[in-house]
Amino acid sequence: METRSCSIDGEFVNTRIAGRMEDTLQAFAVRAACFIGEQDVPYSEEFDGQDFGATHLLAYLGNEPIGALRVRWFQSFAMPERLAVMQRFRGHKVGQLLLERARALAESRGCNILYTRVSPDQAIYFENQRWRRLDDGQTPGARPTVALVRPVDPAKENAEIADMDAFALSTQYRLEMPAAAVA
Amino acid sequence: MTPQTPTQSPVVTIKLASTSDELLQSYALRAAVFMGEQQCPYWEEFDGNDYSASHLMLYVDGEPAASMRVRWFSGFAKLERAIILKRYRSMGLFVPFVEWAKSFAAQKGYPKAYLHGQKRLWEIFERQGFRKINDQPFHFSDHEYGAFAAELDVADDPPSVLTDPMVLNRPEDQLDRRGILEESMERGASNPHAEWTERRIN
Repeated sequence: METRSCSIDGEFVNTRIAGRMEDTLQAFAVRAACFIGEQDVPYSEEFDGQDFGATHLLAYLGNEPIGALRVRWFQSFAMPERLAVMQRFRGHKVGQLLLERARALAESRGCNILYTRVSPDQAIYFENQRWRRLDDGQTPGARPTVALVRPVDPAKENAEIADMDAFALSTQYRLEMPAAAVA
Repeated sequence: MTPQTPTQSPVVTIKLASTSDELLQSYALRAAVFMGEQQCPYWEEFDGNDYSASHLMLYVDGEPAASMRVRWFSGFAKLERAIILKRYRSMGLFVPFVEWAKSFAAQKGYPKAYLHGQKRLWEIFERQGFRKINDQPFHFSDHEYGAFAAELDVADDPPSVLTDPMVLNRPEDQLDRRGILEESMERGASNPHAEWTERRIN
């Protein structure tokens, strides 16, 4: 089932959409800690110029921001990316909670398809949450990625991928994307 | 801009963070090092003092590489939140960065720089003219600290209330250079303002 709630040491993890400057800064801080601090991604790749045209989701344990996810909106799909959970809070499905929040948000906006690109070693994390590989082809380059899709409506999970209107667009949409930090 | 291969010596730039982007860069580097590497909780790292401080940024070939926060007390400048991103360590950036901060404070007229040094860095601070000024180490955010201070070579003519007002208007890390407000003087003084409105009661 979808991860609709999770708790750490008996305390529930909350999610919310970043709506204030401070929330956005918290999302950036979590990503900076995970991607720049832990994974050594250069600043200019992590903060790629797309942050101010996107929606940022946050996970909190009490007041502490412990996870973040960026969602970008396209005509035929929503793109969750930059999924990050602070190292010491991993293993509690916080990443799944954020992805489910993104799915619900996309659903509320009438969006049909979720699409993302992750590094090949992280595809299994998404596949375990019923994302499917869009194609076998990996983007070339130093940091290969694979495309993954998921219907927003869980009832349509078995629909033909070819029917999904995201297909044409998303295969053209080759993005260099830093890996997720959720394992 | 991605970091270039080290075929030539990197270009290092230090400046006062003066735009939202530069402030964000500073916060991101601190989050990377303190939250990402040292497990510091968010609310301890972003402690409420960021919007009453000056932030210094160091760039290597245009890429944000190091950051430091300076707060201004009466008689001394407090250097804090100083970090270098992992990939830029061992390049000898720390000493020139701290020296830049010291001379920045000195040019503003501060006779003393003060800092809380993590215990493992004490020797480095002592080599940079800081001396330990408290006997008892103290600790916060999981680290042991000592309080250090260094005397600064104050500029011959530090800013004072008698300094040319247009010099005090300049960007704080460029007090020796003509600023944008001096250029505005060419427009003259037309004293534009909206008309007085009636004072509204309720």
